[in-house]
Amino acid sequence: MIGMRSLNVAVIVKLEPDFSEGNVSYNADGTLNRAETKSILGPHSAIASLAAFYSKVRYGARITVGTMGPPIADAALQQAQMLCDADELHLYSDRLFAGADTLATAETLKAGISKMQGGIEGMDLVFSGHRASDGETGQTGPQTAWKLGFPFLGNVIDYNLDLERRTIRAKRLISLQGFYDIVEEIEAPLPAFVSVDPSYQPNFNTVSQRLALGRYRKEAAERSSNYKQYLKVFNAQQMGVDPKLVGLPGSPTIVYKVEKIPKAKASRKSEVIDGANPEHIRLAAAKIHEILSGAVVK
Amino acid sequence: MVERFDAVIIGGGSAGLAALKQLANQGKQAVLIEAGTSPGTKNVSGGILYSKKPKDGKVYNVEDVYGQDFLSDAPFERMITKYMLHATSKDKIFSIDLTAAHHYQANYGCSVLMNKLNSWFAKEAGQSAEKQGGGIVSGVHVRSIGWKSNEESIAIIETDELEPFEAKAVIAADGVNSEVAELTQARDKFSPHQLYQGVKVIVKLPEQIMEERFGIEYDSGAAHLFAGDVTLNHIGGGFVYTNRDSLSAGVVYHYDSLMRNPSEPHTLVDTLLQNPMVSEFIKDEVAVKQEIDKNLPKEEQLRIQFAVSKLIKTWGELRHAYYSANGRKGLIESGKYKSDEDIRARVESIKQELESKYSTRFVTDYVELEYSAKIIPDGKRCAMRQPYYKNILFVGDAAGRGIFIGPRIEGINVGIDDAARAAESVARAIDRNVFSEDYLGQYYSQSLEASPYTKDMREIDKDYLKIFLDAAKEVPRDIIGQRYGMVLKLMSSGTLRGLAIGFANILGFERLLPLVESEETYVQVPIELADRLGKQVTSTYNPSIPTVAQRIAKLKYNDDRISHIKVLDPQSDFMKKMVKLCPTNCYSLEDQSVVLQHEACVECGTCAKETDWHHPRGEMGVSYQYG
Repeated sequence: MIGMRSLNVAVIVKLEPDFSEGNVSYNADGTLNRAETKSILGPHSAIASLAAFYSKVRYGARITVGTMGPPIADAALQQAQMLCDADELHLYSDRLFAGADTLATAETLKAGISKMQGGIEGMDLVFSGHRASDGETGQTGPQTAWKLGFPFLGNVIDYNLDLERRTIRAKRLISLQGFYDIVEEIEAPLPAFVSVDPSYQPNFNTVSQRLALGRYRKEAAERSSNYKQYLKVFNAQQMGVDPKLVGLPGSPTIVYKVEKIPKAKASRKSEVIDGANPEHIRLAAAKIHEILSGAVVK
Repeated sequence: MVERFDAVIIGGGSAGLAALKQLANQGKQAVLIEAGTSPGTKNVSGGILYSKKPKDGKVYNVEDVYGQDFLSDAPFERMITKYMLHATSKDKIFSIDLTAAHHYQANYGCSVLMNKLNSWFAKEAGQSAEKQGGGIVSGVHVRSIGWKSNEESIAIIETDELEPFEAKAVIAADGVNSEVAELTQARDKFSPHQLYQGVKVIVKLPEQIMEERFGIEYDSGAAHLFAGDVTLNHIGGGFVYTNRDSLSAGVVYHYDSLMRNPSEPHTLVDTLLQNPMVSEFIKDEVAVKQEIDKNLPKEEQLRIQFAVSKLIKTWGELRHAYYSANGRKGLIESGKYKSDEDIRARVESIKQELESKYSTRFVTDYVELEYSAKIIPDGKRCAMRQPYYKNILFVGDAAGRGIFIGPRIEGINVGIDDAARAAESVARAIDRNVFSEDYLGQYYSQSLEASPYTKDMREIDKDYLKIFLDAAKEVPRDIIGQRYGMVLKLMSSGTLRGLAIGFANILGFERLLPLVESEETYVQVPIELADRLGKQVTSTYNPSIPTVAQRIAKLKYNDDRISHIKVLDPQSDFMKKMVKLCPTNCYSLEDQSVVLQHEACVECGTCAKETDWHHPRGEMGVSYQYG
């Protein structure tokens, strides 16, 4: 708690095509077949939701999850609520928002955050994923932070808050002089914008935290099964956005073409071993022995 | 700041959960720490849960802890209404009806599957505990316990996963291989003569086929015990219990009897399954795939493989549902089928499709769902005389408590009674804020002394014995032999029985037990009985029994690279016997030294006596689906 008011946390998420094997479908020209491909909460959005959930378990945060998208994007909100036990779900949905690039999306999300508990002034922490798996730009988060005027903390793998001093202390994964696994620890004043690294893993290491975790998880499951009770849908007018700054008119960039990266030619050879044939097994064992005896020094 | 709790319970089996629930019932805060992914995943039972009404004194039954609606709310399997003992010799079986012994001083006894039941216990206990600021923390393994130097009654608990925390009172419910007991040296590790080894398989069997076969109804069930040649000359026996739509079939043997003459545990359970009566109990219709023609194109082979697997799965599930009133109701309510006949016709048509299109054969065999093993403390030989240490109270298996006297087999209800008494003792200590050994431990110990179960672990109950003797009255006296002739003569007369038992109890259980629990009682007498008086039972098929490797492959593990067991002396006689006695063949012999591969370990503790034995770290190791 900060003074008498609760810690206000926002998570911005995105409904994305399910790129996992067996779920994704492509058109003949290599573009995504959106009608055939199921949509889910993006994997990076899921990690952002988990990072927000940490602030609920540790600091009793009040969480609002927001997304810009068509009406079916409420599925992403429901899934995010399951992960972070959100107190409120916001869907920013309007035809005017269609065709938005990252900058126009950031404008809509900023307007959305102003509709959350306490408004922009009352917001303490905003979480976003590292990038979207269908856009891969990784720009929406930083641009939203810039529009909000919040300090931006990228690639965060761990964080803790000091509620008295109103600061966040975070560990970031950075690359430095050719090394990719450098952990940088930084402190920033609240409010702050946190983009969560894909390798983030929440760590609850006291009995009380684990008990709270259990309680909130149960609450999250109950809430997300009635997620419509927590859902608020806003259109452009209700959000008071400038139509020139959102959707296609507000987008200085367009996605011109996405090219498939050519697949590298495999250099491995395979042989089929018939498990029922003892001779095959003997040959396989001999081969393994040959490889191992080269690798193992007795 | 280090967190401190009034009461911490270590272990989320049926005893630990009962302690949590009972503390919450009394308005006390308690936290339960469980190493498995959730309570119930590490538990195995035979199992029958009893609710008892002793003639003297009072026990805490499951209803006393979870409420009077237990039978209507809890997922137990079947009410056991028929209790039979069978003496076996090859294909001959002599049966004794022991239903009266089963009902002795009992409200009821019902079959249970521990994973299902403990999940329910955990839900109930967890909800109540949360209201008092406590709850269940799973996936955490307790590594050590110490005490604050200036405050003797504050325990410091260290785990593999969390920051250390403190407890004013601890209830150790961490099972027969209690690490808390070892850490505190509150008792020695149990020895083979104090233990049984149990190995069990769950067999799938459609509900109404089972009911017809066992002569039971929807709301009743049967338990069958076996002794004789099925024991392969070990002291103990086999059992088959009816669950809702599965059977629990297993064997329990005195561990020292196995040590004297090691047999592989799976061979013992296989021998039971091959007994003609048991084979007939477990049999079902099973689909056998035809081998796919290797000359067909690869794609066609795959297509056939998937089609056949899917059809067999649908046939199996639909048939299983068809033989259950609730299953049929569910299918009709789902709108997919109009009537029972409709479902039956669909089952039949899938079967025909499989036969005609894919040459699938339908044969008589049985379907095994899960293989499990457990070490059981023989309460009459190992119940802790002082079931406490500083501010720690030991309950259930951890305290070595259970009642195993011939066909009287009770463990879960004893653990629940212990747990309720421990909870009451801790609640009392919280009220006074006194957690000393005198105030907490001794009070608990006295409470246990007052439990009728404790008496049952020490003395022969002459009324129970009479029921047993009455049930066995058709047994010719000469079979029982000279050894027991005198004893029987005394026992069969009402007045003399009292005297004889009184005398026997003065002699003490320990001196009497070797007489009663002998190869003669469990092996020779039953064989002779079956040979002379048994009825011939034939089975129409040979069950195809899976190998240990196949059984292990069906179990769910969370692999830990680091072994939770360390072999201390790889050349000791004890360890060499583990090569045979480990139920999942984790030990092998290489150049006269025993080598451990821990990956398949089911954490039974068979090898615990002479190894550095720990439960795996949080969430690691085996997770049972049935238990």
